[in-house]
Amino acid sequence: MKLSNRVLTRVGTRGAQRALGWATLASLAVTVVMGLLVVPPDATQGDVQRLMYVHVPAAWLAFMSFGTVFVASIAYLRTGRIQWDRIAVASAEIGVQFCALTLVLGSLWGQPVWGTWWTWDPRLTTTAVLLLIYVGYLALRRVADSPTRRARWSAVIGIVGFLDVPIVHMSVVWWRSLHQEATVLRPGAPTIAGSMLATLLLAVLAFSLAYAYLMVVRLRVGRAEDRAAGTVLSTPTPRAQTPARVSAVTVTRSSRHA
Amino acid sequence: MHDWGFVIAGYAVTAATLLTYRWRLAVRARRAHRLVSALTGRPPLGEHRR
Repeated sequence: MKLSNRVLTRVGTRGAQRALGWATLASLAVTVVMGLLVVPPDATQGDVQRLMYVHVPAAWLAFMSFGTVFVASIAYLRTGRIQWDRIAVASAEIGVQFCALTLVLGSLWGQPVWGTWWTWDPRLTTTAVLLLIYVGYLALRRVADSPTRRARWSAVIGIVGFLDVPIVHMSVVWWRSLHQEATVLRPGAPTIAGSMLATLLLAVLAFSLAYAYLMVVRLRVGRAEDRAAGTVLSTPTPRAQTPARVSAVTVTRSSRHA
Repeated sequence: MHDWGFVIAGYAVTAATLLTYRWRLAVRARRAHRLVSALTGRPPLGEHRR
């Protein structure tokens, strides 16, 4: 068995899923305590800067999800194995949730700091485009009629759509932006206080665990839904199941009418 | 105090997103298992294992 299959099988067991769930919950709880109570407020923005500990990890999670879609889509087009398509759609679904959350949290942060809920800033606009691309990805899957065509079309969108991720990241460098530049993923040392950086990294870890947990659950649901769809298609209709009885009923009815 | 309103709202929205998505996944799994069980006559996966 391939290593990837072995890892997926091991992580997909109910015990592993439960352990991952508890680890996620515990790390998120510690993040909330650290972010709200322990870390000092920002010198210029005050307490509202505490939104960073959920806004940045949510954006990271969205990028990671769409990165997984990208890799799984390439793997699907190369191998044609449906497992890769299942991984891609599961990750896209989670990515859409967290991309939308990033925009909402950014809006909540923007109102007190910038004085507006929304502005057509390059970072915000490219992120909104990113969300629309993957909402389109999920919408397309409902339109395509055959599973193979659905997987192939969405794999192409999964690869092309990912091109927006580096554009979102670099938007604050390439264009004049209201949004602050990168403070951690930048050349040189991070421009952030030690305790804030530690809390931010903890939050990123907690959100990554949440992503892993949701992926495991979503893959399990995907398999169950595929099995249900397969059962529906393979179950014969009542007419096909009892042709003799159906025709007998029809004959009796027609003879009564006669 | 004004700032804390935005902070609490942000953390609450994050928790609500995570919990709602997890709940929706549970509903979808239950629906799929019930459908298979109705069509095949086998008990749903969760009940079978108990």
